Amino acid sequence: MIPEPAYIAASAVITLILFVGLDLFWKLPAHAGVSGTETIEREIEADGGDRCGGWMIGNIVTSPDASAGTLIAACGYWIWGVPGGLLAAVLIFIGARICADKGYAAVSGTLLATAVFWALDTFAGFPPETFIAGIVIAILIVQGISPKHISRILGKLWRRCS
Amino acid sequence: MLVTELVLAVCAVIAVYAALRAVFEKNTARKLPFITVMNFAVAGVIVLILPHPLTLIAAAAYLVGATLEANAIASAMEKLRGEQT
Repeated sequence: MIPEPAYIAASAVITLILFVGLDLFWKLPAHAGVSGTETIEREIEADGGDRCGGWMIGNIVTSPDASAGTLIAACGYWIWGVPGGLLAAVLIFIGARICADKGYAAVSGTLLATAVFWALDTFAGFPPETFIAGIVIAILIVQGISPKHISRILGKLWRRCS
Repeated sequence: MLVTELVLAVCAVIAVYAALRAVFEKNTARKLPFITVMNFAVAGVIVLILPHPLTLIAAAAYLVGATLEANAIASAMEKLRGEQT
């Protein structure tokens, strides 16, 4: 019997890798994709952070990206299974368009997260609600502890990937 | 303790923590990442309290609306800076 906190911790790690990987794939740290991102990047850089990491954090703040997609997918999957994940993809696409974003990262994040959640739930026995806590912890790690230090790590990751 | 209650507690604690970080951060632009964490946690709490397809739409609408507000604040600061220089 695996304790619930272990499932939550595993969900956090999996969702963190999932959305950071997708955001790097869609080149969120490459430039300020959405209006207003520049302001957040400038302040993070002024605080001693990294420019590319700052852009990625700014892009996450100003429009729905893979992390927002993963959260709504987790909520949708818990409520309604795979159809809930597909409904989440539609909702997040509308949301990304409202924020003048193309929505590639958000929609791909939602669909991929739904597939991963289905696999973990079906084959590994994860309780579906642990995915919600997982993605909330993952976004806390990226945005809520120290944007300055995390932006440096994200910047290093981006330079290594690109 | 039920899994749902544990998950709800995790989300609620993170929401309160992020809100406090935003309150104590003096720089407006640097508040926004903490506000984002709070929005994510609150969206999770909405769904966990009331599991229903309509709640999913409500949580998505809340998250998108909150993101749009952060976007508007950051964009307005950008424009102000452009006018000052």
